[in-house]
Amino acid sequence: MKSLLEGSRAVAEAVHLCRPQVIAAYPITPQTHIIEHLAQFVADGDLSAMFINAESEFGAASIVLGAVASGARAFTASASQGLLLMTEVLYNIAGMRLPVVMVCANRAVGAPINIFSDHQDSMSVRDAGWIQLYVESNQEAVDTVIQAYRIAEACELPVMVCMDGFFLTHTFEPVEIPQQTAVDEFLPPFHFARALDPSRPMTLGGGSEPDNYLEYRAGQHRAMEQARDVIEAIDADFSDHFARGYGGLVDPYRVAGAETVTVTLGSTMGAVRDVVDTLRENGMAVGALRLRCFRPFPAQALIHCLAGAKRIVVLEKAFSAGAGGIVTGELRAALHQAGLATPVEGVIGGLGGRDLTPAVIEAIFRRAATGASSVACRFADLNSDAAPST
Amino acid sequence: MNSCVQEGGGGARDATQHEIRFHGRGGQGTVSAAALLALAAFEDDYESQAFPKFGSERRGAPVEAYVRISHVPIRAHNQVYTPDAVVIQDSTLLRSEPVLQGLKIRGLIVLNSERQPDGFNDDHSDFRWLCLPASRIAEKYLGRPLPNTVLLGALAAGSGWVSLSALEQAVTSHLAKKGEDMVKVNIEALREGYRFASQGEEVAS
Repeated sequence: MKSLLEGSRAVAEAVHLCRPQVIAAYPITPQTHIIEHLAQFVADGDLSAMFINAESEFGAASIVLGAVASGARAFTASASQGLLLMTEVLYNIAGMRLPVVMVCANRAVGAPINIFSDHQDSMSVRDAGWIQLYVESNQEAVDTVIQAYRIAEACELPVMVCMDGFFLTHTFEPVEIPQQTAVDEFLPPFHFARALDPSRPMTLGGGSEPDNYLEYRAGQHRAMEQARDVIEAIDADFSDHFARGYGGLVDPYRVAGAETVTVTLGSTMGAVRDVVDTLRENGMAVGALRLRCFRPFPAQALIHCLAGAKRIVVLEKAFSAGAGGIVTGELRAALHQAGLATPVEGVIGGLGGRDLTPAVIEAIFRRAATGASSVACRFADLNSDAAPST
Repeated sequence: MNSCVQEGGGGARDATQHEIRFHGRGGQGTVSAAALLALAAFEDDYESQAFPKFGSERRGAPVEAYVRISHVPIRAHNQVYTPDAVVIQDSTLLRSEPVLQGLKIRGLIVLNSERQPDGFNDDHSDFRWLCLPASRIAEKYLGRPLPNTVLLGALAAGSGWVSLSALEQAVTSHLAKKGEDMVKVNIEALREGYRFASQGEEVAS
């Protein structure tokens, strides 16, 4: 049965269903509601977990690192500057191959300080070795948190579930919260073979010399490469259990016969779907594709879905200053490697909570359909008059 | 179900969608009002969505919140730019904020005010004004001038988009943690807003 829940509440319910034993966090908007709900569940005695208020995000990440290393299922959440403060620990979690699951309530990064949503925070830690899954709706956020524990524990890799701050975390929308028995069936208890045990002493993340560091890192990359199949298989299995699936790595929409395809991530996809429907009714051959899994980068799945497109637009809410769109660059490389010369236009938009309205999205499609494309990155809905010149 | 709402929904996705924008000031329960409306619509078997536009979160600052009510699943997470109705919890916002911006022709304005303000209907948009002294009514039931539930009752009566019983259920579940008394007085406030908008008069207590 569906209920109308705030996104943060829905995600907290999902985490609850996964029976975490340790939850550690430090508050930051727009993530705080998730942790507040979990703290309430623990305080009310509904959730038997250790809830630890950390002194910082660095502490929160370190606590879940230790918890999972000792064999506990753990959860944390953060956003923006908080996620950046975790960065050093995020690399360590991934390097130690610890299956931590966290939610990033995607928010812009300062300066200037901005509490609203974009993807700069999670994109900035893309090289840390975490699987990153970007969700479109609160239902997908719930389902992906549950999938994330299965993926993390199967691959011994950490998973970051990225959900747009405010657009999802603070939105009330219909969500089906699965039954505990069904989740228990889908997600067995966590048994960590490498769990720290005083009777069997060992070191995690100890020193590594030039003669083996490279091999550790290569192993991490190999595990990420292998995670693609696991992510797809677990999404398929989830679909068998709960009759809801998300395409695993990528989520194409009306790409068959589409000449112009827009690739995007996260909650923006909803409006993109509406615009695709409208333009299709007007006879324009357009489609869209949502990149659900950004790490590992699903090059083959993207090429498979985009091979028929004449032109591609990537609409993304983060960029690398001085280089351009991050997904744009990676998609261009993937297409090039596959021998495809499809032009890819990079459009940056929706930064700092700027709403990507259907009108803005439609204008992006219409401009792309004319064949106008350049390698330079373009900002959508930019108020040139207001942009400072220095 | 109401005659305003097309049944069937076989056409364009948004043909049966209602968009409502709430304007208020921090502390007036604007975000709660939007959540309550979405909960009530959901209770009435519609798809619905509510979310706030947070600015600096402080008492007295202008706040906006949005609601969509639809027969089909709502995919977009955009703000509401062309509402079918606006609910204005503080009439001073009419002078300082673009609260009527984008309101559709024949759009409904539910305003917390003793009377319709002058000088706001000269653009031939033919807005439907529904003005009621919601703060005064709220004061009577809640002991505080919190107008949100009164205005929700009026919106339900003026639009027909949600039922009064669904709103009552939403208030009951949403305010359950604040105690039975809080639920009871808010339902009374809701009902009086509804009666006022249906009958065009305030019912004496």
